[in-house]
Amino acid sequence: MKPPAFHPAQIPLGLTLWSLWFVALYGGTAVACERLAAGPEEAGPAAINLGFLLFTLAAAAVPGTYAWGCWRAARLSAGRPSQERFAARVGAALHLVAVIAMLFIGLPLLGLPPCL
Amino acid sequence: MLTVGTIVLIGVVALWLHALRRPSAMVGPVEAKRITLLWLVGGGLLLPGFAIIALLAFGIPAGHRMLPLPPASGEAPLRIEVIGHQWWWEVHYPDTGVVLADELHLPAGQPVDVVVRSADVIHSFWIPRLAGKIDMVPGRSNLIRLQADEAGEYRGQCAEYCGVSHAFMVLRVVAHEPAAYAAWQQERGG
Amino acid sequence: MSGDARDWPLPRGGREGEGAGEGGGAGTGPADKAPQSSGGDPDPARLHEDFNAVWGNPRGWRAVTIVNHTAIGLRFMLTGLGFFLFGGLLAMLIRTQLALPGHTIMTPEVYAQVFTMHGTVMMFLFAVPMMEGLAVYLLPKMLGARDLVFPRLSALGYWCYLFGGLILCASLFLGIAPDAGWFMYTPLASATYTPGPNSDFWLIGVTFVEISAVSAGVELAVSILRARAPGMALDKMPLYAWYILTMAMMIVIGFPPLILGSILLELERAAGMPFFDPTRGGDPILWQHLFWLFGHPEVYIIFLPAAGIVSTLLPVFARRPVVGYAWVVVAVLTTGFISFGLWVHHMFAVGIPMLAQAFFSAASMLVAIPTAIQVFSWIATLWLGRPVFHLPMLWLTGFLVIFVAGGLTGVMLALVPFDWQVHDTHFVVAHMHYVLVGGMFFPLIAGLYYWLPHFSGRMASPALGRWGFWLVFGGFNLNFLVMHWTGLLGMPRRVNTYEAGLGWDLPNLISSIGGFVMAAGVVTVLADILLHFRFGRPAPDNPWQADTLEWATALPPNPYNFISLPRVEGRHPLWDQPGIGRELAAGRGGLAVIDHGRRETWGTDPASGEVREIIHLPGNTALPFLAALALAVVCIALLAKAYGVALAAAVVVAGLLLRWSWENGAHPAAAPDARTAPGDPPLHSRTADGPGLWGMALTLLADGALYLALLFGWFYLWTVGPTWEVPEGGGMAGRAGRLLLAAAVAHTLAQFAMQRCARRMAQGRGPKHGAAAFAAVAAGGALALGLVYAALRAAGLVVTATAHDAVIAVVLGYSLVHLGMATVVTLLQALRVRRGYVGLEAPYEPLVVARLWHYNGGVLWSSYAALVLFPPAWGGI
Repeated sequence: MKPPAFHPAQIPLGLTLWSLWFVALYGGTAVACERLAAGPEEAGPAAINLGFLLFTLAAAAVPGTYAWGCWRAARLSAGRPSQERFAARVGAALHLVAVIAMLFIGLPLLGLPPCL
Repeated sequence: MLTVGTIVLIGVVALWLHALRRPSAMVGPVEAKRITLLWLVGGGLLLPGFAIIALLAFGIPAGHRMLPLPPASGEAPLRIEVIGHQWWWEVHYPDTGVVLADELHLPAGQPVDVVVRSADVIHSFWIPRLAGKIDMVPGRSNLIRLQADEAGEYRGQCAEYCGVSHAFMVLRVVAHEPAAYAAWQQERGG
Repeated sequence: MSGDARDWPLPRGGREGEGAGEGGGAGTGPADKAPQSSGGDPDPARLHEDFNAVWGNPRGWRAVTIVNHTAIGLRFMLTGLGFFLFGGLLAMLIRTQLALPGHTIMTPEVYAQVFTMHGTVMMFLFAVPMMEGLAVYLLPKMLGARDLVFPRLSALGYWCYLFGGLILCASLFLGIAPDAGWFMYTPLASATYTPGPNSDFWLIGVTFVEISAVSAGVELAVSILRARAPGMALDKMPLYAWYILTMAMMIVIGFPPLILGSILLELERAAGMPFFDPTRGGDPILWQHLFWLFGHPEVYIIFLPAAGIVSTLLPVFARRPVVGYAWVVVAVLTTGFISFGLWVHHMFAVGIPMLAQAFFSAASMLVAIPTAIQVFSWIATLWLGRPVFHLPMLWLTGFLVIFVAGGLTGVMLALVPFDWQVHDTHFVVAHMHYVLVGGMFFPLIAGLYYWLPHFSGRMASPALGRWGFWLVFGGFNLNFLVMHWTGLLGMPRRVNTYEAGLGWDLPNLISSIGGFVMAAGVVTVLADILLHFRFGRPAPDNPWQADTLEWATALPPNPYNFISLPRVEGRHPLWDQPGIGRELAAGRGGLAVIDHGRRETWGTDPASGEVREIIHLPGNTALPFLAALALAVVCIALLAKAYGVALAAAVVVAGLLLRWSWENGAHPAAAPDARTAPGDPPLHSRTADGPGLWGMALTLLADGALYLALLFGWFYLWTVGPTWEVPEGGGMAGRAGRLLLAAAVAHTLAQFAMQRCARRMAQGRGPKHGAAAFAAVAAGGALALGLVYAALRAAGLVVTATAHDAVIAVVLGYSLVHLGMATVVTLLQALRVRRGYVGLEAPYEPLVVARLWHYNGGVLWSSYAALVLFPPAWGGI
């Protein structure tokens, strides 16, 4: 599943994971509210937020480890072709962007009622 | 917010113009790398980062006030139903059964929940001086909480394009002092 | 005028290199310079003649057969300019109407058509095609290639764009133009509230134009990945290529949801299938999701290529490489992805839960960061460089001022409470014009001035150009800066008039005056550009001392771009080797042979940029033109509700496209002579690896985006649709579900057989009876097709009664179309094996077709899961 740290597929991978997480989060909260909140003016159980918060942390860990892997590979890459080092460096940065995007976009889970 | 935005704009443009006009200094590659990082991290990451945090610090409390949470006093706010038509507003008072067209009366100084629906196409309910806007979507009902702090007349207008007479879909809003509101209700309801 | 001191023995291809009427063919550069011989090399003039015999563009009516990217790119841009002027005229009408309160120059009906068409024309017929046209024109030259990898697709894209645009605009002259806003919100746009053909023009015309956008997107992306100069590794691509790659991928993924939405809405209008009708289980909000799922990325689809222009021009004028290349690449890719997570910010007022809005609000703020990185990379580049000031820099400075202002109001709008207040007011109109005019139009004009010598071989006058800039810049700000204030005063959008005394009178008058000043500026710029064709001084080589390869061609370029192809070692080929143009023209680069009579360019590795094969390209053909013409007939017939004619024309389209696919591989029209020079790699059709594999993959990605949008609609309506209902009996439970399962199983078997045949052929091991084997696979496809059809019949759908049945019908119909396509092209493969166009020598095509089979397998199983397994799991049945 995971491409080697120098593979150019690392470049789009991080934010692709972000997209999947984003769809799951947006769709998931909507479906959870439909199922768990009593009515359209009901705030819904806080467990929804907690669940998606944990999901967000778990999801962010994936590009997080990839970022680490790519970054290490980029540092130890003397002698490899320049585009491979480039892919690892840009890949590491974009994995990191994915982590930040997940955590930042997930922030509202901390403060807002899920279904209102 | 507009002020901060203006300052940022002027700052960025000034930097650009200065960079264009300043006498070119020969810098070594190490120095160039340092300057690069300074610009990219400072301007590219930190500046928008702080701007966003500042914006949120202002925005999150403002957003919370607008949530139709149950009020602390426990008493449910007055409910009014508004149904959008091409091109007029049908206003219902469920408590008293009063029905009005193109006119909305409400008590000043207390929150009012307006439930909006549509009978045909999408309209948008908007009284600029009282609250933001909420769309009236056929098949759904939406809720917006508004409060007129002072008695007086306000102007509401449809904010979603709804056909040729969209521009003329205007709502007259009258906020009464609570006593006057009660009197008005008596008069209409009785 | 031909006395300029050039010592460059480039054959100035001059006018035979241009399609008739292209490129404003008024005065020409010094057309017949005496070629100089450069010791020992073949005579450049002779080389030029030989290459032109293969690559040249015909004149007269045969110009419709041109597929060359230079000609197509210019056509895109000229047509885009035409539509821009039309859209601008509509804007002037709007500003005239709003100049004074109570003005009645136009009736409300006409006004609705005018503002709808203004938005539609500027977005779909100007901004996107213009940017694609520029990229089509520039990219192969920048990448050191001779053409894009699918030249016929370029031509098809252009004709679809032209015809679709003409159909759309014609409606305005007939007085039946779309009038429900450029966003076509239902139910206003649906049959009940817009009974006339108005909305149909939008839905059908825009979809037609989008075929063009998506095909250009596929083609640009594959060309960037697979046809670069040898040695141009990923980290050595010009930044512009990164921008266009991102834009192209965004088009491929972002446009299909709108195409789907348009198809569904047209089905609702024409066939009464209620996808968006809340009285029959649909939901108008679904349309908004599909529209903005496209609509927001669209803004970045327009902005990114413009930012690419900035990142290309600015380092040239700063006289140093752009600062932070990798940073910019990361920023561009981040923008490309995150911009898909913003769409709901156009829907903050529809009553979506606060938490969900907060996700989109956060993403909207986040997207400001990559933009800031680019802006500061540009500033740092100027800071560290030795900037020289030419006219394009003036436009870039204007871009910075306006775009940054628009970006700042954009961040404000991302804040939900603020948005609730100013949404759908003139504040948003002002914001959007700051972003789009600032972010797209200003860089575009900068680029136009920068590349003018490329189009004409001449330089424009600085004086008139400066006048044009200040008029546009001043007029624009007078118009739209004031409009922010109008919006804050509470003036809603899309009103055809307003009462006096609300405080809106003066700002509107000022805005209108500003609008007309801006129009005068646009006319000045146009006049400058037109005059320069006549009076401009001839451009020297590489007039701006640029670093990218498009300046290594002749000015104006010949259709083949380069006599021989360069090898690239760094990011700045023309700074590294200023004389490379001369070398290439003398035939000292790669692929300098033409006696085989085929068009060709290098096929290179997507990552390393090393040569993998020779891509041979088709020559001029009328097929794309005819196919687009037949498609136009389909559209017009649909508009006229002449469904028989539409069906017949659709069959003609299919026939033309199949004929097109016939002239591939070992067919003599594709490569009359398949021999390659000793030491050169084989032709791509003789390998198991060609650009078509990527082309197919990206087309299927677009197709998959459409299919996923359809499934999204299904799940959306099931789970949160407010009036969703499941009819009693019928549906996919029971027999229909079992038939669909059988279809999926049958298809899977055929799919693996197809894979096996294709792979064995690529390995040179068979299959033994090739033609029969492919025919058998096709039969398996036909069986699956029949089973899906049986399932559709068994489901007993009443498609006009509920959205439930209507969506099922579309999902199954989608599968039917795809299975039919796979069956027919596989049968065609069998025929081609018999003819010898495909076989052990040329094993490439079955691999391309196999991808379609895998995709269809995925579709069938997903459909089974969504239609049969999901409902009972959700508890609906």
